Amino acid sequence: MATFWRLTGFLRPYRRATIWSFVLAFGALIGTVLIPYLTGVAINAVRAHKHHELILLALAIVVAALARLVFSALRRLVAGQVSLAVEVDLRNALYARLQALELSFFDRQQTGQLMSRATVDLQSVRFFLGYGLIFIGQSLVTILLAAVAMFLLQPGLAAISLAPVPFVVLIANRYGHKSRPAMQEAQQRIAELTADTEENVSGVRVVKAFAQEARQLERFRHTVQRVFDQQLLATRVQAFYNPMISFLPNLGLAAILLFGGRQVIHGSLSVGAFTAFYAYLLMLISPMETLGYMLGAAQRATASGARMFQILDQEPQIQSPPGAPALPAGGGHVTLRGVGLTFEGTTTPALTDIDLDVPAGQVVALVGAMGAGKSALVSLLPRLYDVSTGSVSIDGADVRSVELDSLRGAIAVVNDDPFLFSATVHENIAYARADATREEVVRAATAAQAAGFIEQLPDGYDTRVGERGLTLSGGQRQRIAIARAILADPRILILDDATSSVDASTESAIKRALGDVLAGRTTFVIAHRLSTIALADRIVVLEHGQIAADGNHDELLEQSDLYREIVEKGMPNQVFLTRKPLEVVGR
Amino acid sequence: MTPRHAGSELRRRLRETGGHGRKLRGLGELLAPYRWRVVAMFTSLVLGTAAALAPAPLAKVAIDQGIQKHDPGALYGVVAVFLVSALVYGVATYAQTYLVGWVGQRVLQDLRLKLFAHLQSLSIGFYGRNIAGVVISRMTNDVEALDQLVEDGLATLIQSSLMLIGVVVILVVMDFHLALLTFIALPLLFLGALAFRIASAGAYRLTREKIASITGYLAETLSGIRVVRAFGQERRHIEYFAQLNEENRAANMRTVYLNAAYFPAVELLSGLVTVEILLIGGIEAINGHTSTGVVFAFIAALNNFFNPIQQLSQLYTTYQSGMAALDKIFGLLDEQPEIVDSPDAEELPPIRGELRFDDVSFRYGTEENDPTLPWALRDVNLVIAPGQTVALVGETGAGKSTFAKLVARFYDPTSGSVLVDGHDLRTVTAHSLRSQMGMVPQEGFLFSGTIRDNLSFGRPDATEAQLRDAASAVGADDFIMALPQGYDTEVGERGVQLSAGQRQLVAFARALVADPRILVLDEATANVDVHTEGVIEQGLRRLVAGRTAIVIAHRLSTIQHASLILVMENGQIVERGTHEELLAAEGRYWDLYRDWAEQAAA
Repeated sequence: MATFWRLTGFLRPYRRATIWSFVLAFGALIGTVLIPYLTGVAINAVRAHKHHELILLALAIVVAALARLVFSALRRLVAGQVSLAVEVDLRNALYARLQALELSFFDRQQTGQLMSRATVDLQSVRFFLGYGLIFIGQSLVTILLAAVAMFLLQPGLAAISLAPVPFVVLIANRYGHKSRPAMQEAQQRIAELTADTEENVSGVRVVKAFAQEARQLERFRHTVQRVFDQQLLATRVQAFYNPMISFLPNLGLAAILLFGGRQVIHGSLSVGAFTAFYAYLLMLISPMETLGYMLGAAQRATASGARMFQILDQEPQIQSPPGAPALPAGGGHVTLRGVGLTFEGTTTPALTDIDLDVPAGQVVALVGAMGAGKSALVSLLPRLYDVSTGSVSIDGADVRSVELDSLRGAIAVVNDDPFLFSATVHENIAYARADATREEVVRAATAAQAAGFIEQLPDGYDTRVGERGLTLSGGQRQRIAIARAILADPRILILDDATSSVDASTESAIKRALGDVLAGRTTFVIAHRLSTIALADRIVVLEHGQIAADGNHDELLEQSDLYREIVEKGMPNQVFLTRKPLEVVGR
Repeated sequence: MTPRHAGSELRRRLRETGGHGRKLRGLGELLAPYRWRVVAMFTSLVLGTAAALAPAPLAKVAIDQGIQKHDPGALYGVVAVFLVSALVYGVATYAQTYLVGWVGQRVLQDLRLKLFAHLQSLSIGFYGRNIAGVVISRMTNDVEALDQLVEDGLATLIQSSLMLIGVVVILVVMDFHLALLTFIALPLLFLGALAFRIASAGAYRLTREKIASITGYLAETLSGIRVVRAFGQERRHIEYFAQLNEENRAANMRTVYLNAAYFPAVELLSGLVTVEILLIGGIEAINGHTSTGVVFAFIAALNNFFNPIQQLSQLYTTYQSGMAALDKIFGLLDEQPEIVDSPDAEELPPIRGELRFDDVSFRYGTEENDPTLPWALRDVNLVIAPGQTVALVGETGAGKSTFAKLVARFYDPTSGSVLVDGHDLRTVTAHSLRSQMGMVPQEGFLFSGTIRDNLSFGRPDATEAQLRDAASAVGADDFIMALPQGYDTEVGERGVQLSAGQRQLVAFARALVADPRILVLDEATANVDVHTEGVIEQGLRRLVAGRTAIVIAHRLSTIQHASLILVMENGQIVERGTHEELLAAEGRYWDLYRDWAEQAAA
């Protein structure tokens, strides 16, 4: 219930419009109630052969119908506006909160789950706040007004004919209860089916290569059957409740015919009153059903709201402290002191007791096996994660004490498998600086050895990435990501094995370009191979989240068994035509 | 073919397959197996609709025969009939809801299966021409659009149409004169509905597009959240998202305007028609030309006249998108597989693994041999002895993967022929060929399921011991045993729970379990750490030992161990021999090798 009231809080900015839509709804309602009433009176006039009265009543009905038109059109407009405004507010609030939350939040969440909050859950909340409340109010008032009118006309008959009302509402409500889990499970199974389809389309080569079409079809048949079974279950629930809901009001009608008819025959009820009675009950059928369904919708909206509040109530842990200063000027002097990092939900620390002092402008290669902590270490600099113990400082300021945007603006990252947005190549390169000119973008692309292939693309720099199946190779994506980092003109550059999927000639070209780019910046390179390590002034070997060795190539060959192993074993396994082992240098 | 061409090609096909004839025939085929249920469904629909219409005429009889004539007996009779009709209505509604759900869902699932089977029968060429996302969307979004129609609308659609017809009949029978007067509203209604349809179709399509772009943007910025954070661009995304939201709001507002104009207008019209009937009917009744009961019943029935019209208007968009989806689905079903077993295709007997290319040339493209397209392979002549390992070397686009695809008969050569043990691939069944052939793709595509499921993919009846032997032979056993559930560990969608190196090893073991005579392997270029790299290299050796292997090679060690190296350039084999022979020849291979050495020295 608390969630329910919190949800209605989203209507607060639109209090006036909300009140108006209620007022308008009641206006329309009066028209709706008035028309059958006037019709009843008119029929009586017909019976009594009152010509004039009939014409007057007809005029009154026209006025009522016109009033209803105006009210109901306005109500739709106002309510529509409120509902859509609430949707915009809610979705923007959700998105802003998602953008403020730290990465560890996303590590714990499935993207699909987050998406469904911002789409499915949001729709049910918006529908309920925008329309559901009004419908509930409208239905309640209709039932109430009609009931009052009926009781005034003939209390006994009213009691009998209204008897089915609570049952209809109850049953409709129960139906909502029963059908929701059934439908949700059906949706879940359809999602499985979608995943199955995707997998089989993407993996069609494997299926064909192993000649397993028949078996895959059999499996798919099973998944499809599961969907069918569940859908049928939902259908059964619907088939059971629907006739009940529509059957009950008919009992009321039958009661009116029987008892009302008898009263007319006995002369204790006029034909006009009888017809009005009948019309009122007809009029009640749909509000009764609506009320039941809307009570179900209210429950759905409350459940959805609770899911949305889970996100909205999540306080971002990584934020700029209030009034934080910008990152002080400097050349990118990085200091890690006693740094430990344990990711949420894990027990083994990713980093323990790291002490590292990197002077401005130094190029540091981070070397180590998978899971040694290389990526974890560099993710601390732009505060993608916060240290569990110790501190990280840049140019003398603890990263947690400075304004976040200025910190991240000073650091650029290029990943192994870079993520590009489905925007133009230009927009992707200018990601960190949306105002960059074409000239600047081209310059960055040229420095990253990307200009050549970009010009070959159908629309050059204006080609949209990922559209119409235009996929860039891993090497091309990487070079665009490098250009993106170059254009950001960062103080600190982080290359996460950024040249792994380019061929040998491109790689050496990138290396040459990087030589210029690295000048004057502090650079961290996560490296698997010697050619990349060779770029570095200093090599840090990580093992199980700790620094195992620190020094230059020659020193480490002396000091570190692990480094020696990497160097020795690394060589014969290098990739022909794409990598260049140092072994060959001697030949 | 460029993606742009593929897109317009697709659209052209869709247009060609349009038309009601195709759709009706297709639906007829889908419904045929359930014809008795369909008959029962329609029966219950008609019964239910008739029963739903009963109250108005019954009320008339009650008033005219019972109440007006002070005849309680007639009144009781009517009430009894009324109750019976309500009961019939309840039962018919149950039957109809159940049957519509059953038939609708059965047909949808059949359609899904049909699509799935059809997709499997299509050649790899089809998947090259079409974007995977579009193909998947036929199976998902389009079928769901139909589902929506079945769920929300099918019953209402049929019922409202029947109801409308029924009401018209009742009105005409009750009082022909008043009925005609009612139908004066029809042209107005028709025009209004038409205008509403035209205006709303575009508006609703726009709202669907807008919400799709919101969902797309949300999905994208969530999966790219690391980049967003790293470059500190949150504010920009929030602003753009707000803009998308605003556009969505505006698009929806248009539908609000339309609905606010249309539905109240229909309500007004129903009010006006009521007044018209009341006035004219009333005066007639006063003058004794008709009965009060008729006028009353007529007005009660008018409700049933306008309700179905409103319902049908509301359903229109669902109906539209369902029909559009059906069009696209049938378009896909009309797609013909290019590579089918010839009618007299034979089972390929157990092979030794000799592979021959006779004058093979190949160009990509659709059915016809389009001379404007470049050759992907040209004049390839080659014999590979059973058990040989052949390394294909060359730059991207030199024809290495095309060569491999022709071996697996993912394509047929444009000219010349590919033979296994002397059998032309076009004369044998695809199944018998591929069940003796293994394929290891570059990324090591895994299916969601356990490691065990994946290992036994090519040979579902493999024993536990066989799986373990294969896994340990390629060096995958160690890491598998170290996983929390060992062989029963779920690998996740596409194997995301495993590292690239681990996926590669599982793919090796999978191929080894299938124990093919001919193996086609695209070596991975992904960066893995030193230890894993060593294990992969060992695994690869164990895998190719004793079988004919075509390896698209990237690693020097793989190339050095091959019994034959083919250097490819522009679709042709420019050099062939062993590592030593080719180095001694100082040709293209030597050039490549020297470049590579020089770069290493740089």
